[in-house]
Amino acid sequence: MGNKQTTFTDEQLEAYQDCTFFTRKEVLRLHGRYRELAPHLVPLDFTNNPDIKVPLTLIVTMPELKENPFRDRIVETFSEDGHGNLSFNDFVDMFSALCETSPRELKTIYAFKIYDFNRDNFICKEDLRKTLNKLTKGELTPEEVTLVCDKAVEEADLDGDSKLSFSDFENMISKAPDFLSNFHIRI
Amino acid sequence: MDSEIQRQGSRNGYHGDQQSLRSRQVSSRVSNQNYPQFNWSSTPAEDDVEGSSEMPRDLRSSPLHMALKRAVRQVQQMQVPVVSSRESWKRNKAKSLRKLKDNTREFLYLFALWSKSLQKIGGNFGGGVQSFFLFLRFLVVLNFVSFLLIAGFVLIPSIVFRSVGTGLVNSTGPEECMEYDPNPQGLVLFYNYFLDLLSGTGFMEYSYMFYGYYNNTMVDDTNFSYNIPLAYLFTAVFYFAFCLIFIIARMGTAARVAVATGGSAVGNYSMIVFTSWDYGCLGDRATKLKQKNIHYRLQVRGDLSYLAGWRTLRKKWWRFLIRVTCFQMNLSPTSFLFLCQVDLEEEMIKKRAASLTTNQKVVLYALRVFMCLVAFGLIIGAFYGIFLATEFSQEKSGKEGILGLIFEYLPSIVITAGNFLVPLMCDQIALIERYAPSTTVIVALLRAVFLRLVSLGVLLFTLWRQITCDGNTESAECKLCEYNYNFYPCWETRVGQEMYKLTLFDLLINIAVLVLVEFPRRMVVDNWSNKLAQWVGRQEFVVSSNVLGLVYGQTVVWTGALFCPLLPLINTVKFIILFYCKRITLFNNCRPALKTFRSTTSTFFFLVVLLFGWSLATVVMVYSLAEIRPSMGCGPFRFFPNMWSIVPRSFSSLSETTEEFLFFIGSQAFSIPLFVLFCVVMCYFIALASVYGKSVALLRAQLKLEGRDKQFLVKQIEKLSRQLQIPQHTAGAGQ
Repeated sequence: MGNKQTTFTDEQLEAYQDCTFFTRKEVLRLHGRYRELAPHLVPLDFTNNPDIKVPLTLIVTMPELKENPFRDRIVETFSEDGHGNLSFNDFVDMFSALCETSPRELKTIYAFKIYDFNRDNFICKEDLRKTLNKLTKGELTPEEVTLVCDKAVEEADLDGDSKLSFSDFENMISKAPDFLSNFHIRI
Repeated sequence: MDSEIQRQGSRNGYHGDQQSLRSRQVSSRVSNQNYPQFNWSSTPAEDDVEGSSEMPRDLRSSPLHMALKRAVRQVQQMQVPVVSSRESWKRNKAKSLRKLKDNTREFLYLFALWSKSLQKIGGNFGGGVQSFFLFLRFLVVLNFVSFLLIAGFVLIPSIVFRSVGTGLVNSTGPEECMEYDPNPQGLVLFYNYFLDLLSGTGFMEYSYMFYGYYNNTMVDDTNFSYNIPLAYLFTAVFYFAFCLIFIIARMGTAARVAVATGGSAVGNYSMIVFTSWDYGCLGDRATKLKQKNIHYRLQVRGDLSYLAGWRTLRKKWWRFLIRVTCFQMNLSPTSFLFLCQVDLEEEMIKKRAASLTTNQKVVLYALRVFMCLVAFGLIIGAFYGIFLATEFSQEKSGKEGILGLIFEYLPSIVITAGNFLVPLMCDQIALIERYAPSTTVIVALLRAVFLRLVSLGVLLFTLWRQITCDGNTESAECKLCEYNYNFYPCWETRVGQEMYKLTLFDLLINIAVLVLVEFPRRMVVDNWSNKLAQWVGRQEFVVSSNVLGLVYGQTVVWTGALFCPLLPLINTVKFIILFYCKRITLFNNCRPALKTFRSTTSTFFFLVVLLFGWSLATVVMVYSLAEIRPSMGCGPFRFFPNMWSIVPRSFSSLSETTEEFLFFIGSQAFSIPLFVLFCVVMCYFIALASVYGKSVALLRAQLKLEGRDKQFLVKQIEKLSRQLQIPQHTAGAGQ
């Protein structure tokens, strides 16, 4: 099976296998999915590492991401330029970090990055407010939103700076039994 | 961030100290780079020889961009230094082992049944329902592998060596005991075949399906010998051991996740905000429902703190809010009990319980004890019904036609009716008992499990009573052969038939309920816009009762496997049919539940209940092996005093030392010290686990304390700075 395909060299496939949680077949399948997002943009032959990036607007049309309220943030987090344009490397990286075999620590790191909207390595109340609004699509009144944000920070903040650092976030996530099963996209 | 700190600083009045604090915080932010960075300096040579297998693992789990990871990998590959041949051999071995593991994983994915279906179910209905289907898939695989085991060691040798082979024991018994003629006499009508298929009699009775057909033979060639009875026995024992190991292995993975997360059921705000969205959620409807769920949970949480000061109004507000939310979400009041969040109700009930006077408490406890007795009485009543039905059915066995079929199936019908009615009544009793919701759920589940498993035990007990004449081998009917040879010329086949009928009836009832109850209900609710129809609503997929049904079915198969070797195969087919039926009903007739099961702890719980069923079946098997005399007219163990006695007899043909060694292992001189050793090892592991748990709790508390310490120190600094500032101001004002 591996000798017939011309999309990747064997060396590339080995590199993908070492750097992600996917097998060769899954990497090839992912390439198929990546290509169907933009068939005119993405070439079939990746052996010479073409520098192609699929824009954010196309990536979020994928059925796995379409209904997710955080789809923009997820794609931005995994893009190298920070604007959501994913190369194939970033694409594979994204689904590898969110797959079933990905360890808890890695998922926690990326979850923190996703919820940190202003990218200052802290989840402040403004970030929480945006998270909550995306979650409930504006069904809560503004004072309810403020109340929830205050309470959430109060519960999770351990070092008393009224925002969540990574260690606060990690400590809180370790107590959540559903995190691992919820933070998981199957492709 | 900076504006907030500045605000703090201006509030406290002393800018200078705050400046230094801010800069300290900023520097800590920079140096505390939040997530583990990849250690460029570590090379495989510096680590131990397992570096080559650790390198990929570290690389995969490192939070770098892919291009960086590939660069690091290239660097590390180039950095491989000159090592000794032994080290390089070890490294190569580790690499090939990893490749083998990856290839096996790819290969197993081919056999992963129904993975797309399960993904769709999980996305649309949540983790709880998906865990039920995962459990069902696990049971299908377990049954299929068990069937392969049995086929390989018992069925195929029996078929191959059917005509060959010598009888093992040449003794004979009384003539009456050896009379066994299951072949039907005379002309058999066509519809009788169908009835025989349903009840396991007639042409099915004397076939590879049941115990009675297997022969008491041993094939002994020059360099090959196969002892069929011994194979039968060992396969049965190994089948049970294999199932136990499989279940415990699966429990291990589930338990690890449950323990690691501490098992706290408190849904506080931060957890709801960050972990409640299911990223695997697919479909428009499921998404909207998920959003409503989160909104509802936050509102219910918020209500308590919003109205914290309004003690008198709180109850009214709570009731009003719940009613409004129910109406908004088109929920029926019957599912109301499932809606209320555990922590909300728990708090209310705890507060109510604490506010009772001693008198009221006494009354409540007396009421609870009484209701417990009532529930127990109901269950005992169900057992008595099963006992009567089984006796009646056994007496009337042999009747022809449809009436005969009904009499045959009478125990199954009574068991199914009992399993349906008694939990309903226990639910009503639970309303009077007024436990906290989590306790109510646990009590209901325990009662249901007790009912299902012990009703099967009652059926078996009734059969035993009739086979062994109440255990009294001296009574008139049982004196000759030590079992009731008149009614049961081949009692093992009869027991096997009962288990076969139970399995079949279970499947038929499931399909009948699907066709006759669930589809019509959906059609009525969808097409008839009536208040009554809306109040009833589409049904929910209740995970717990479905799981209990699966456990019951599997227990029946385990109990019957010794007497009906093909039962695991039938069960595999039954569970596959059940999977498709449940999936059809899920997607067409059910609506998603608002309250979702915790999928991590529920898998563990399902397996614990399955183990209860397994232990019941083991008790039955051990008793049949050791105590009851096998039938003399049929089966591979005729003429033996009990089934186990073939083992010592076969050992006599082994060499002297092997025989002595095996006898030593079986004796008390070996098993008691072994048992003591196991106890010691278990105590060690329990102590270790408790120590780890305590240290985790201590570290968590320490983390919290350090945070508080920092807050306290910051406040002290502010106070001190204020004290230093005020004399300056008074001095300045004075001037």
